[in-house]
Amino acid sequence: MNRPKLINGDISDHWFYRELFQQVPFNVAVIDRDYNIIEANDNFTDYFGKWQGKKCYKVYKNLDYPCLGCNARLTFEDGRPRVSDESGVDQHGKEAHYVLHTAPLREDRHGPVKYIIEMSRDVIETKNWQMEYQILFDRVPCYITIIDRNFKIIRANENFRNSFGDVTGRQCYEVYKKRRTRCPNCPAARTFRDGKVHHSDQVGIKKSGEKANYVLTTSPLSRDITEIAHVIEISIDVTDLKKLEKEAIEAERLAAVGQTVAGLAHSIKNILMGLEGGMYIVGKGLKKNNKQILDQGWEMLERNFNKTTSLVKDFLSFAKGRLPELEMVNPNDLVQEIVGLYQDVAGDVGVSLAADLDRKIKKIPLDPKGIHTCLTNLVSNAIDACRMSDKKTNEVCISTADKKGVLSFTVSDSGSGMDSEIKRKVFTTFFTTKGGQGTGLGLLTTRKIVKEHGGKITVYSRKGQGTRFRMAFPKKRLYTLYNKDDADNSGE
Amino acid sequence: MSKKNILIVDDEPDVVAYLSAVLESHNFSLYSAENAEAGLKLAEEVHPDLICLDIMMPKESGISMYTKLRRTSELGDIPVVIISGVEQAGEFNFRKFVKDKKIPPPDFYFEKPIDVDNFIAEIKRLLSRRKQNKTKGRLS
Repeated sequence: MNRPKLINGDISDHWFYRELFQQVPFNVAVIDRDYNIIEANDNFTDYFGKWQGKKCYKVYKNLDYPCLGCNARLTFEDGRPRVSDESGVDQHGKEAHYVLHTAPLREDRHGPVKYIIEMSRDVIETKNWQMEYQILFDRVPCYITIIDRNFKIIRANENFRNSFGDVTGRQCYEVYKKRRTRCPNCPAARTFRDGKVHHSDQVGIKKSGEKANYVLTTSPLSRDITEIAHVIEISIDVTDLKKLEKEAIEAERLAAVGQTVAGLAHSIKNILMGLEGGMYIVGKGLKKNNKQILDQGWEMLERNFNKTTSLVKDFLSFAKGRLPELEMVNPNDLVQEIVGLYQDVAGDVGVSLAADLDRKIKKIPLDPKGIHTCLTNLVSNAIDACRMSDKKTNEVCISTADKKGVLSFTVSDSGSGMDSEIKRKVFTTFFTTKGGQGTGLGLLTTRKIVKEHGGKITVYSRKGQGTRFRMAFPKKRLYTLYNKDDADNSGE
Repeated sequence: MSKKNILIVDDEPDVVAYLSAVLESHNFSLYSAENAEAGLKLAEEVHPDLICLDIMMPKESGISMYTKLRRTSELGDIPVVIISGVEQAGEFNFRKFVKDKKIPPPDFYFEKPIDVDNFIAEIKRLLSRRKQNKTKGRLS
């Protein structure tokens, strides 16, 4: 065998180089220009098997002809070292993956390349990892795309490609949304700018033309946030979830409509009964020519006619959805007004009506008509609760307070109170404990007005002890609404 | 023949006035109460031949009064006619309620507004049925 010679002797004669050649943790082989393996270390033999007298392509890949684009050939030609990713067979005929480094061996530095040294290392583990990673990337149940600074998709997982089509090299906005220009408020652009993770709800169009709702997270694909070259976009398709949500909202809306209609029908039936009764008694009075009976019937007709009017009014004010018309008012003035209005009514049924006002309260943006309606409803309910109570003396108190940025009105009574069942139903459409005397819309309208002011209404009650309703309005929200009103009115 | 006594329990004075006028013109004697508590008290006092009962009333509902009536032995067999604006099928399932409570169902259910002729015919039918039942009871 034509073995290479060291300047001062055979390579195998020098212990240091022999050891180096054997112990280097690579498969090492030396080949000549005719692809003959002329030397190899034990690692190489252990991995590829017997090599003596064989061509490299036979040993590496079990081929009978040189490999296409052979790196060793190229290195023989230009003298430059090379690295390549190769697949072949090991000594047991099993698939082998290895990284192959080829380097020229010259007898003197400027002389021709005499041999090539080939060093290879098994990378089958890495390959397996890569494959697993690829499967994970492709099959993970979400869409993944990686985009560059020009918003061009450079990689997309299988899940995404299945839904959005062939995408590589196309702009993300074109693929996700069929747009020609970048999306406004693009979260990927924000990530490129600040290097932070951003989440957003998006609506795109799939290759089938279907709408897709997805929650998108964009994250920088770089350890160095000063120079972000790529952004990874991960999105979860929530189209089905959105559909379900929409159906649930629609079902809820229909149920609310049904409940409202049923409640309205119930109120109307009661009024109709009263009207029919009135007509019946008027008829009886006419038949008997009895003015007293006639008067009784006529009064019934009038009363039920008035009930119709107030039901329609209450229902309209509840259904209208009018926006609060805010103006600077002193909450204490509104309370005084109500006290003046209800003093006699309360007195007539033995209820004392009082106000406990926080005198430090200044003017604040409120809708005086709306708050008037709320206080009217709460105070008339409170008086009714006192009437239903067994106690001899009863009182209703309206108080105001301004604490921790919250303005509150509290209407408390010492009346009959509510059990937990009634408390649960108190804000339900057409629910009334007043039988035919109530429309069941007062508290519902009150809550609606409070909500329109950005506030909250709460109830505290104990059966037999009394009830307290508290309307709380965060002042910050009142001013925000007020300023918005101003902006709207000035046409901004 | 003595007049039959009917008790009307309804919080709505106009309904009481209407039913009273209708029943009076058919020669019935009437008692009325504006809530369940007073109605039950009056029923114990006068032992009416029939009770017309509303469902939605302040303080205590007609349903609660009905349950108490049926569970009081000396009042349990008085025919009860429910007269209410509550839709029987949709809003309140009386049939299920009485089944759950293990009490007999009401004798009749009228939805407001009532048809006067049907109402009177039903009242008369229920009273005569009760009379027959009582006679049968004596014979046996």
